[in-house]
Amino acid sequence: MQLKENRRRRPGSDTQIAPALAAATCALLGPGTPSAVVAQEQPLPELAPWSIDTAMLYYGESDGRVQDFSLSALARKELKEDGFLTLSFALDTLTGASPSGAAPSILPQTFTRPSGEDSYTVAAGEQPLDDTFQDTRFALAANWQWPVTRLALLDVGVSFSDEYDYTHTGVNARIARDFNNRNTTLSLGAALANDTIDAVGGAPIPLAPMLGTNDLRNRQSGDQSKDVLDLLLGLTQVVNRNTVVQINYSLSSADGYLTDPYKLLSVVDPDTGLPVAGPAGAGVNLHLFESRPESRDKQSVFVLLKRNLNGNVLGASYRHMTDDWGIDSDTVDLRYRFELGGNRYLQPHLRFYSQNAADFYHTVLFAGQPVPQFATADYRLGAFDAVTIGVKFGMDTRRGELSTRLELYQQTGDPDPAARVGALAGLDLYPDLSAIIAQFSYKFGR
Amino acid sequence: MNHRTAHIPARARWRRLAVLAFSLGAATLEGCAGVQPWDRDVLARDEMQLAADPLETSLDEHIYFSKEASSGGRGFGGGGCGCN
Repeated sequence: MQLKENRRRRPGSDTQIAPALAAATCALLGPGTPSAVVAQEQPLPELAPWSIDTAMLYYGESDGRVQDFSLSALARKELKEDGFLTLSFALDTLTGASPSGAAPSILPQTFTRPSGEDSYTVAAGEQPLDDTFQDTRFALAANWQWPVTRLALLDVGVSFSDEYDYTHTGVNARIARDFNNRNTTLSLGAALANDTIDAVGGAPIPLAPMLGTNDLRNRQSGDQSKDVLDLLLGLTQVVNRNTVVQINYSLSSADGYLTDPYKLLSVVDPDTGLPVAGPAGAGVNLHLFESRPESRDKQSVFVLLKRNLNGNVLGASYRHMTDDWGIDSDTVDLRYRFELGGNRYLQPHLRFYSQNAADFYHTVLFAGQPVPQFATADYRLGAFDAVTIGVKFGMDTRRGELSTRLELYQQTGDPDPAARVGALAGLDLYPDLSAIIAQFSYKFGR
Repeated sequence: MNHRTAHIPARARWRRLAVLAFSLGAATLEGCAGVQPWDRDVLARDEMQLAADPLETSLDEHIYFSKEASSGGRGFGGGGCGCN
């Protein structure tokens, strides 16, 4: 729906040009209008200049967990009439510690680092975190969008990202067609990605026990990879002068290595909840590397409403996702942009998220019981609720738009109730997460 | 008698809901057919675009993709990650 692009071709005020534009629109919409005639009557429109969005973002989790400092930019240029090139770039610098999936214990525990070259000790009662987590991620994407007919747009793109142990390459395409006097847009898109995982120390054999330092018998050789196919069917509807609604249905199918190579599950005594000894001579407790299925199919429905309310803008969205790992999630996102006058605005933001656990999520495994084919203790596949609360302030300056936002993100989860046995009953078995998001943005050239 | 009086308000509620739904539906249909190009000044504003701030959206999606089991829905992401 070319609402935005059409605006710059509208000279003067709406009231003065309405009849002229109406006549021009009728001429354009009329059947059999030769485009050459229209082209002769109208001067060639000036191509839009580069418009550039830049952002600096800090994401910081409490308790010394993940910190991300990110620089990103998105540039858009009209290279031929209604043909837009979009380029985006992001650089992330990640440091900090990430929960390994292992359960805390009333006794100190020693863990071998993912590289296998070193070990670290976690104090009694503390959440096992691997503090060697650091990475630099670089991402690039390019898209080219152009009209293929008077009412249809095609958008094709490529994406690439690289970090120490992970490389992504992807292609995508989307076609959108307007109907109903451009009040309705139907779009169909597809994206294909191939990602390569080159795990530090080698990807572990699923469900193999963690071994002592310099013992990599539990690792597979070579890189791992996965393919992801995404399909998206979208409907956008202008409801009235102040309201537009979007409804998307999407399917995502991933095949290949979907396991997190650094996540563990602790094996504990089913009565006492105490750790059990690992393989002979390893000098560590029994912790198994996680194992996930090699395919995952997700479906989601996403609805977005944008509504102008006396100059202020409400943006409300809802997403329901379901997958064949047994996860269902709901997300509600609300933003309300208050115009403060003087080209300044304030935009509060609330987001609510809730998911249940994957079928194969286990906070711990129990010694003496059969080991399931698939198991993970990754908190991201457990049951939790999350809330984001934030506010953004923006102002238009003569050169561009300056904005800043501050948000708090809080996850609160529940461990598998079966895990509350013996010594584990008194420990915090689900690592709650608190993070702040701070961002400065500057947009110019529009 | 009690049975009847208990149901009247409920029926009235349903009628009101039906009238409301019909009015909303009618207003929506009327709106769907009727927003002309020269009436799109509000819809053309930057903040009324469906992707009003694509850079911020992609940053948010990257964060939530890294921390939750769900992703996507709105469109396609701009690169995967082996996020921890």
